[in-house]
Amino acid sequence: MSEALTQILWTEKYRPRSLKEVVNQKEIVARLMKFVEEKNMPHLLFAGPPGVGKTTVALALARDLYGENYHRYVLETNASDERGIEVIRTKIKEFARTAVPEGVAFKIVILDEADNMTADAQQALRRLMEMYVDTTRFILLANFPSKIIEPIQSRCAVFRFMPLNKEDVVERLKYIAKNEKVDYEEEALETIYEISEGDMRKAINILQASAALGKVTVEVVYKVVGLAHPKEVKEMIQLALSGKFLESREKLRKLMIEYGLSGLDVVKQMHREIFSSDVNLPEDIKVTLADYIGEINFRLAEGADEEIQLSALLARLSVIGTKLGLSKPSEVPSRKR
Amino acid sequence: MRCLAVSARIPWIIKYRPKTLSEYIDQEEAKNTLINWLKRFPSVDKRAVLLYGPPGVGKTTLVECLAHDFKYDLIEMNASDFRRSKDIDRVAIKSADKLSLAGKGKLILLDEVDGIYEKVDAGSVGAILELIKNTKFPIIMTANDPWANQLRELRENVIMIELKKLGKKEILEILKRICVAEKIQCSDEALGYIYELSNGDLRSAINDLQTVAEGFGRVDLDLAKTILRRRDRELDPFETLRNIFSARYAWQARVAISQSNLDRDMLIQWLNENLPRQIQDPEDLWRAYESLSKATVYLSRIVRTGDWDLLSYAIDLMGPGVSFSIKKIEKDKWRWVKYSFPEKIRELSRTREQREVIYSLASVIASREHISRNKARTDVIPYLRIIFQNNIEEAAKLVLGLGLSDNMVKILAGEKSGEILKRVKEYQKLIREEARKSEEIKEVKKTPEKKSVEKREKEERKTQAAGLDRWWKK
Repeated sequence: MSEALTQILWTEKYRPRSLKEVVNQKEIVARLMKFVEEKNMPHLLFAGPPGVGKTTVALALARDLYGENYHRYVLETNASDERGIEVIRTKIKEFARTAVPEGVAFKIVILDEADNMTADAQQALRRLMEMYVDTTRFILLANFPSKIIEPIQSRCAVFRFMPLNKEDVVERLKYIAKNEKVDYEEEALETIYEISEGDMRKAINILQASAALGKVTVEVVYKVVGLAHPKEVKEMIQLALSGKFLESREKLRKLMIEYGLSGLDVVKQMHREIFSSDVNLPEDIKVTLADYIGEINFRLAEGADEEIQLSALLARLSVIGTKLGLSKPSEVPSRKR
Repeated sequence: MRCLAVSARIPWIIKYRPKTLSEYIDQEEAKNTLINWLKRFPSVDKRAVLLYGPPGVGKTTLVECLAHDFKYDLIEMNASDFRRSKDIDRVAIKSADKLSLAGKGKLILLDEVDGIYEKVDAGSVGAILELIKNTKFPIIMTANDPWANQLRELRENVIMIELKKLGKKEILEILKRICVAEKIQCSDEALGYIYELSNGDLRSAINDLQTVAEGFGRVDLDLAKTILRRRDRELDPFETLRNIFSARYAWQARVAISQSNLDRDMLIQWLNENLPRQIQDPEDLWRAYESLSKATVYLSRIVRTGDWDLLSYAIDLMGPGVSFSIKKIEKDKWRWVKYSFPEKIRELSRTREQREVIYSLASVIASREHISRNKARTDVIPYLRIIFQNNIEEAAKLVLGLGLSDNMVKILAGEKSGEILKRVKEYQKLIREEARKSEEIKEVKKTPEKKSVEKREKEERKTQAAGLDRWWKK
């Protein structure tokens, strides 16, 4: 069997194709099936945390409407890859204004991570939604619907996707494990659920990586999660706290250049690490740091030089480390003088 | 100031410019190399010379003297003339005919070739190379900076000859000679001061001498000091950083930025690299980074809004802001530090290929998984790495299933990539064999029953499509 010699990501392989196959989000799916039946739908806004099935449901809806060749009538774009107004004015407008193909009532634009769009891009989008409503319907997907401007929200039917519950996730993982002939401990699948916090995509990715290491046990799952987060983040924080700024900056460069992490990725992981039990800091200091990390996050979002913003954060950690006496005096030449 | 002098007066740099090689003093080595090369021309290895050295050391003058002594017609072009390759072609045509009217040979001078800009003057370098290849006459080019990027190809096709900065003795000798010729009283201290200012640039020394002498008829130290200002010279990266860190007043740090030969983005990278080398106290360092960080925030606001008024705040923060962050250990401001080139830039160019591979890998995953490239990088690639570094079989299957390139495998698997790629080849072979087998079986066993199944499926699809049409037309 040649199929056995190739593999794809399980998130892709086990993505439900039709609304009928979607087992969660029952109320939403029921309503959407009505749209398919009526062959009509308003603009839609799917809101909810990552990995609960927003994209899956949107694609399934499109497939149920148009059949296997749904790609012809659907434009998929991701606002976090193309977040500016330009993509709205060019790509999306071009698609929306072209005539509807024979035999189809309207086309669909699926706009993923729509909450990453800039405000002016959203304004432009709003006009498109009005002008081309006869020919094009939009499905916006967002983690935080509050970041979508009011006028767009009011033009959409809003569907709130709920976090997946433990049974649903574990059932799905079991189904995949059986299909892939993976040896597993029941408890390990529960651990995956806990770690992934109801994010099905993440859960399936962890399962696939764990399975590559052998039998899926609780230990293996933890090992995989540890490996997935570069240990350099923790090391970088520790080095900065002990006053070794230059060395911590080297770790930073490794993360950004070799791992290809963006400044925002690094900031978010640092935030997580600082509140984890591995970093030994007084609670009030952690809060002070959270405030500063937020400020750095904001500056990054404004487009300022990434390494410099993060270096400022590392320098701040050095100050705190020195005050708390975490650095040995010999390592801070300034003290000797 | 010289502009105020009577216009009929000839600038001394022209009046006292050597006309012949015997008048041209110093630079013996370069002179001899050139003379020998011209004597043997055209039986020489390379038909062009690149004469380089700092401004005002006599590059162009030397070429003019050579033309005079060898009785060549000098065909001259400078940077502003060879903006376009067709201008150079024109010279080529002009010099194509063997001899000029006077029956003389020709010497082609391309002055200031480092003034060619790669992007603007597209094709110029190519045209010059072409000219060198076909020329019947010697070509001499001049440049201040022969190591400029755009001259790379040129360097390989010419003889490189350096003219050194003039020493104190030579410059004083020439200045004195002019003083005598102009019948002007010159004090040695004043000439010494003029030499100091010139930094080995004879042209600027002669100009300075004339500036003082013409106004007052004599040259003494006091006059020279009042009249002559140090020329605003560009600061190299090291001087720029030193001047910023050691500034006592805000304006000094600002001047250092405006005189730097680094552009703003580069200067920020130099500062970023060297802040922790200059500043030892953690609090001082943090303050400095805060300031630099805010400078970059202003710069990105300029990019977004197009509001250049914000620039001066950015400059205040990156110059004076950094300088006056040093409070706890004030000595750090003047501490001698060996500054480094921004490591980040070197790293980035070293890893560019690698980062491009990660980008295309993220794109492949993003389109298959219906997620953003960013998410592919943070949520999927780390798990793929785990699989690739621990399970060769699964990795090989994924390579085939996802259609990953060899470079992508290297990024994901590191040292395991060799084994994985080998396994991929084995699988590919197996898949091909199986495909061939099933092909053969199909040929043999294409029963009427199977054909009808295929036909039925086709028809079903057709009616489905028709149904869809009706469906939508409603």
